[in-house]
Amino acid sequence: MNSVSPNSDTTLKPDDPSRVVASLARDQVTLDLKTIDLCFLAALYLKADKAALASFEEDVLIDMFEQVCDSIEPGAENPRKRATHAIQRLREQRMLARVDAAGIVRAGDYALTTLAAAIVQYFLTDEALTRESLTLLTGTLSAQLAEVLGAAKRATDAESWHAKVSGPLRVTVSELVSGIERRQRGLDAQQEEVQAEIAKILQSDWFSAVDRCQTLLETTATTLNELNEILLRDTHHFLALLQDIQSLAEAAENYETEVTVQRVIEHVDRIAAWGSARQQAWSDYYQYVHRYLRDVVRLDPDRALSQRLRDQTAAWPSSPFFLLVAHAPSIRLLRALETRGERPPVARPRTQREADPEWVEPEDVHADIEALVTQAIDEGAATLAGVSSRVLPKLPEALHYAGAGRVAYAVGRLARIRSEHERPWAPVLARLEVEDWTIVGKDSP
Amino acid sequence: MSTSTFHTLEEALADEHYPEVDLALRRGRHIGRDDDTMYEYLVDAQALLELFYRRFGCELIQQSDGYFYLLPTGDRLGRRQLSAAEMLVGQALALLYLDPATLQHGGAVRREALLERLSALLGTEMLVRTLDPRRARKGKYDERIAAESVRTKVSEALRRLAELGFIDLLEDAGLRLRPALMRFAEPVRGLGDRSGALERLVRAGEVVLENGEMEPEEDITADEEPQP
Repeated sequence: MNSVSPNSDTTLKPDDPSRVVASLARDQVTLDLKTIDLCFLAALYLKADKAALASFEEDVLIDMFEQVCDSIEPGAENPRKRATHAIQRLREQRMLARVDAAGIVRAGDYALTTLAAAIVQYFLTDEALTRESLTLLTGTLSAQLAEVLGAAKRATDAESWHAKVSGPLRVTVSELVSGIERRQRGLDAQQEEVQAEIAKILQSDWFSAVDRCQTLLETTATTLNELNEILLRDTHHFLALLQDIQSLAEAAENYETEVTVQRVIEHVDRIAAWGSARQQAWSDYYQYVHRYLRDVVRLDPDRALSQRLRDQTAAWPSSPFFLLVAHAPSIRLLRALETRGERPPVARPRTQREADPEWVEPEDVHADIEALVTQAIDEGAATLAGVSSRVLPKLPEALHYAGAGRVAYAVGRLARIRSEHERPWAPVLARLEVEDWTIVGKDSP
Repeated sequence: MSTSTFHTLEEALADEHYPEVDLALRRGRHIGRDDDTMYEYLVDAQALLELFYRRFGCELIQQSDGYFYLLPTGDRLGRRQLSAAEMLVGQALALLYLDPATLQHGGAVRREALLERLSALLGTEMLVRTLDPRRARKGKYDERIAAESVRTKVSEALRRLAELGFIDLLEDAGLRLRPALMRFAEPVRGLGDRSGALERLVRAGEVVLENGEMEPEEDITADEEPQP
């Protein structure tokens, strides 16, 4: 498994989410923490918190790992070697950072990174939003915002906007808002636990669990109602203050503050939306459970119905019954009557397939060849090559090859010829040769 | 003195909800508290609509679990009996509805939980025999294809049960169970004898004992090896 590459750029600004995602994918960032790693980190975090330590010497780290190992895996072999591996693993994943610059000169000092601290804080924190904590947080937030608004009214230059308005908004106010949001998540987790608890106590105690279930339901519903009321009232006040600050920043053309205020406004909107969404969701759940308690649990205190229904279902194939339901068909709309004409058969227009005869020049190459051969012999041609040389130029070029054979046939028929045993090849025109004969006389017709 | 909004049938029928409610009821839908205004309309107009529907030869029934449905008692309005698949799936869903574990998710269950429950109750072979009797009659069948066939039949049954208002189909293959599922538990709700309860339900026109549905003609050679 890949871990965080030491060279990877994982501290990108969160302005461009797609760039951040692409960068994380490119670096193939993963986290792989085993239970013992988490316990080790938690032990380090708590020790640092208690003793106000900024870093740990290497021996302290190893001792701490051995203690953790002893408590969760007593009897494990070679804890020192495992500690070395664990420290290496955590360093590769940027959970532990070496903070001295001694290199190999001496053993190093190590500190928990913000990543490790955030992970441990998540597991250690069990704070959930309560009326007291919310009132305290919203009160502080309100005072902070009023102070920032005062500073915005007094700010005269970019430096004072940055130091007195934008800075406190980004750090103090955002921290407070995040504090509320974190506690909201804590309360979400608490609600899930209540839902699981209700299912569990009904499973185990059935009818006698009804009162406890109702108490749990009422308590959570009351908490959510109260929190939502506070959130609705106070977030309205926060938004009014933030909009005043934004107007002042706009007038002063301080873009940095405008953007920061906008982010805080969106954060506050999210907090307000959480309250109403959770109240609605809990209201649905509340009604469902109430109906269940009334219609199922109270009507079946001995929980016999489930068993009887189970038996009925298992035996249903052998003794079936079928429920009846109404089944009125949909109203049919009849199509309007329309007269249809007789459709003609599919056809295509007739075309003249036979062409009219044309007058062409008569062709009789064979007769022409005989006449030409006779003429050539009469004119004194004494060899086959001589006759062919006179006749072939008068024929189309395409017929020269075939014509040469016809000329030889006509000469053989019309004249007396003599052929040597080894007939010599004689050229005819440019591209033909013939085995030559000598013409010794013309046959009488 | 009546607390109903409607004083006459004409007023009840003129209400904007009437067409939708009437069509849903005539198509066999069970209208429950989850249907919000439709349910509230029925509660409000119940006394007037009961008499109105009786003229069509059917009863507008309200159950204590919080739902209404229309039950034809004559031949004037069409009716149908649920299929074997719908009955089995409906009973398994009713069991899930009664299970306190379902409460944790506000009455929502996953299809896998339903299939597991069916399989645990009846066993795979009985499921195949009941849901796909033509395939089972062939004797030996391909287990993988039979399982696929069961899943298909269950999906089809779920779609029809959703149309009838027994469940809501949620996104990502989830199901929300509705109180109307308790109709499937009706024969065993009382403490008395089940057969006596069934007789009473048959007399009331709520159930029938014979399977009147036609087995669909389908290609039972689908699990044979394809010819090269």
